[in-house]
Amino acid sequence: MSFAMRRISFLLVAGVVAAPGLATAADVSPATAANMARNCFGCHGPNGRSPGAIPALNGKNAEFIVKSFKDFRSGERPSTVMGRHAKGYTDAEVAALAKYISGLK
Amino acid sequence: MSQITRRNFIKTAVAAGAASALGPLLSGGARAAGKGKQVVVVGGGFGGATCARHIRRADSSIAVTLIETNKEFVTCPFSNTVLGGLHKMADITHNYDKLRTQHGVNVVHDTVTAIDAASNTVKLKSGKSLKYDRLVVSPGIDFKWDAIAGYSEKASQVMPHSWKAGPQTVLLRKQLETMKNGGVVVMASPPNPFRCPPGPYERAGMIAHYLKQHKPKSKILILDAKDKFSKQGLFLAGWEKLYPGMIEWVPAGKGGTVVSVDTRKMVVQALDRHKAAVANIIPPQTAGAIAAQAGLTDASGWCPVDPKTFESKIHPNIHVVGDASIAGALPKSGYAAYSEALMCATAVVALFRGESPGDASFVNTCYSLVGPKYGISVAGVYKLTDAGITEIKDAGGVSPKDADDAFREAEARYAQGWYDSLTADVWG
Repeated sequence: MSFAMRRISFLLVAGVVAAPGLATAADVSPATAANMARNCFGCHGPNGRSPGAIPALNGKNAEFIVKSFKDFRSGERPSTVMGRHAKGYTDAEVAALAKYISGLK
Repeated sequence: MSQITRRNFIKTAVAAGAASALGPLLSGGARAAGKGKQVVVVGGGFGGATCARHIRRADSSIAVTLIETNKEFVTCPFSNTVLGGLHKMADITHNYDKLRTQHGVNVVHDTVTAIDAASNTVKLKSGKSLKYDRLVVSPGIDFKWDAIAGYSEKASQVMPHSWKAGPQTVLLRKQLETMKNGGVVVMASPPNPFRCPPGPYERAGMIAHYLKQHKPKSKILILDAKDKFSKQGLFLAGWEKLYPGMIEWVPAGKGGTVVSVDTRKMVVQALDRHKAAVANIIPPQTAGAIAAQAGLTDASGWCPVDPKTFESKIHPNIHVVGDASIAGALPKSGYAAYSEALMCATAVVALFRGESPGDASFVNTCYSLVGPKYGISVAGVYKLTDAGITEIKDAGGVSPKDADDAFREAEARYAQGWYDSLTADVWG
């Protein structure tokens, strides 16, 4: 089954259809969000607990993470490398990433 | 089809608001699916150690045995900083204690001598053999010793490659320390594909950093089998700023390809003949020897894999991660090996459980130091398309070319932070 088909079946079963253009974390499966988030920890430390110079992610709330991503992407928040990373994720993916990371213990 | 059915069932359950009731039951059942399963991991580098650790983290009912020859692992990332005198060998050396004690990985210091895909068995040098349900092979690279006439494993004791970190790193550093002021350090840079595309050029800068302080009349000559290289514009500008006139790069098109060496006369032959005070020959590369021996490589010398699970396209139940794998647009880097291994670990657990591992996602982030306070980086975000592992357009890329000193200094600081975090999530 294609991603699009799976998504449609999910939305139908769930009985909700998000307003167009309003991306939510539900558009991305928890497993996919976890796959994306784990890649962050090579720089941000095990489970987001950084042992060194790169800021930790563990303990950050979802709202802060979403805003940071969007500001990195637009350049409003200056960065060295995060602007380049942030451009690689859709709004729905950022929302799902933020949900996953903010739930880290 | 049973997997899809099960997935739809879970979604229906979630949608019905029964997640809290069914979740624990489902995950309990899923956990039992991993119970008694045996995973053997070959190689304790970035790929292998990450995979072993993260399989155990995802499902501690799976028994994971990691086979690694050496008791300590010396990282190639940051080994150039040892050559430059910024770090000591101890700073880039890691052991397996925490994988054992905190993650429950059975680490065995032995060498795999054979893999029998038909009987799901690996044979070890000690004479033991191990059965696996799934095998993860992360053997890194080996060298094509016959590619440069006169070069060999024995010749590397005179003209080190230092492309596997450890004694070779120590040897090259010693040679730099004992060479005379005014000598030429000749480097041979390999053709694509090879481990760590920016590595030879970071090395040139780190060697220049050392020579500038201690042997300022010396020069570095890079003889290249390629016409362009990773972060090229940034490296060239950085060298010009920090080490003007010290580093010369000869591309393949201008006679850079090294064809032979003479270790007795200390001569490196490309189109021209170059006399070296120190010669660092990085030979063309291929997947780690055990991969070829196990029949996991194709005609290219590297291992074709399913990009979602890293399962070999040749032998089922064997996964190949890291430099040895053919991973689409992902480079052969420590971070890419880590990212591949995370996805592989997730896939291995999901395959045991008959679940979907989710959509694959990969990242590469790779810092190079031009000088101690001059860092540059390349980043990439990757996803799976019909063409395999593909870099997402408009994301990633290299550091800006017009950045100021503060930016370069911040990236040098983050390079250290990157190393500290990455190694903590692999061996820590």
